[in-house]
Amino acid sequence: MTTEARRPTRQLIEPDLPAFDASALEPELRAAIAELLLSMADDEFVIGFRDSEWTGIAPMLEEDVAFSSLAQDEIGHARLFYELRCALTGEDPDRLAFHRQPHEYRHAQLLDWPRQGWAFTITRRWLYDTADAIRLAALAHASFAPLAEVVVKVRREERYHLMHLDAWLERLGTHHGQPRGKVLSALKQLAPAALSVFAPLPGEQVLVDAGVLSASMAQLADRWRSDATARLCALNLRPIPAGAPPADGRDRAQPDESFVWLWNEFTSVARLEEGAQW
Amino acid sequence: MLPRNESIGVSEEQRPVSEGRRDEAGRLGPGADPSVWEVFRQEKGGDPMRHAGNVRAPDRELAMHYAREFYSRRNESVRMWVVPRTEISDLSDPDLLQPPLDRSFKKPGGYVMRDKLEIAKRRAGEAAE
Repeated sequence: MTTEARRPTRQLIEPDLPAFDASALEPELRAAIAELLLSMADDEFVIGFRDSEWTGIAPMLEEDVAFSSLAQDEIGHARLFYELRCALTGEDPDRLAFHRQPHEYRHAQLLDWPRQGWAFTITRRWLYDTADAIRLAALAHASFAPLAEVVVKVRREERYHLMHLDAWLERLGTHHGQPRGKVLSALKQLAPAALSVFAPLPGEQVLVDAGVLSASMAQLADRWRSDATARLCALNLRPIPAGAPPADGRDRAQPDESFVWLWNEFTSVARLEEGAQW
Repeated sequence: MLPRNESIGVSEEQRPVSEGRRDEAGRLGPGADPSVWEVFRQEKGGDPMRHAGNVRAPDRELAMHYAREFYSRRNESVRMWVVPRTEISDLSDPDLLQPPLDRSFKKPGGYVMRDKLEIAKRRAGEAAE
């Protein structure tokens, strides 16, 4: 490791990140897209690290490998979103991912909850993935073509994640006794928090007016509630309660203790030596 | 009449180890571990399906997910088959597969083709002129 002659520490994912001219965008729209990308990147980044906590301790070997692979996919999506943002802002994706303070992360508060048991993890992950699917669908025809292109690719992977998570939710949620009880109690705790995925974004109206986002976050939240409730009721589980997305759903002036712990974990290597090359 | 699964003149010890008993149709059936799924994959269109390995899963849906994660998470396949091991027809009877008498006359190596081939080529060459 040397700090001399610093080269960029990473390679861009060339084939996945379309080339474009950032200066062609109005500054206001560019800032709003950058904000949206940061919220999505942080969501995927944090859920990816949350899931990777199961590596080695998942309920069975096959699930261990599968769940770890899902976690890697999410980190990959985060990387794409960070890089796309940085193409707009000129920031360094590595610094964004690993060198911010805990209060600067913009992920939904749903992802602040600690991992806890398997049923809790599955329930949280299912809530997040169903919400993320609605958000991605609302970006699939974004007028900002590079975003639409990236979203199409990410959706193809998320489709499989949702199948995997839904299979588990069904098995745990309909298995009478302990598993079902744990899913029910996780839903009770997490369903209101899941609305934080749709917390209003700065510049959200600009995104809607410019045809980047097909509906407001509040409208997407209603869409999600109705879809998720239909599936939960089919499994004889609890519906998603009524309510608007919390305005502070992505704020962490007082970072959650569990997230600070996770942040310490995922930044521990990056903090070992500033500017190190690997 | 002999029981279906009993071979003649070969002791149980000489048979290859097979998992459990087979049913009348030759399936491994209840003798096999019902949670094991055999996975086949096709690397590209037109290739044969090849055995990739197996996974343990409580049902068909999770077996598909695990097969994908174990044998194709890095885009190695264009198609996968996932088969419960209990449905595999197992044939390992030495009377059927390894009979004791000389079979060399059934191998193509039993015929010397070289001279015949030479003559045929020459004849084909003459015809072309």
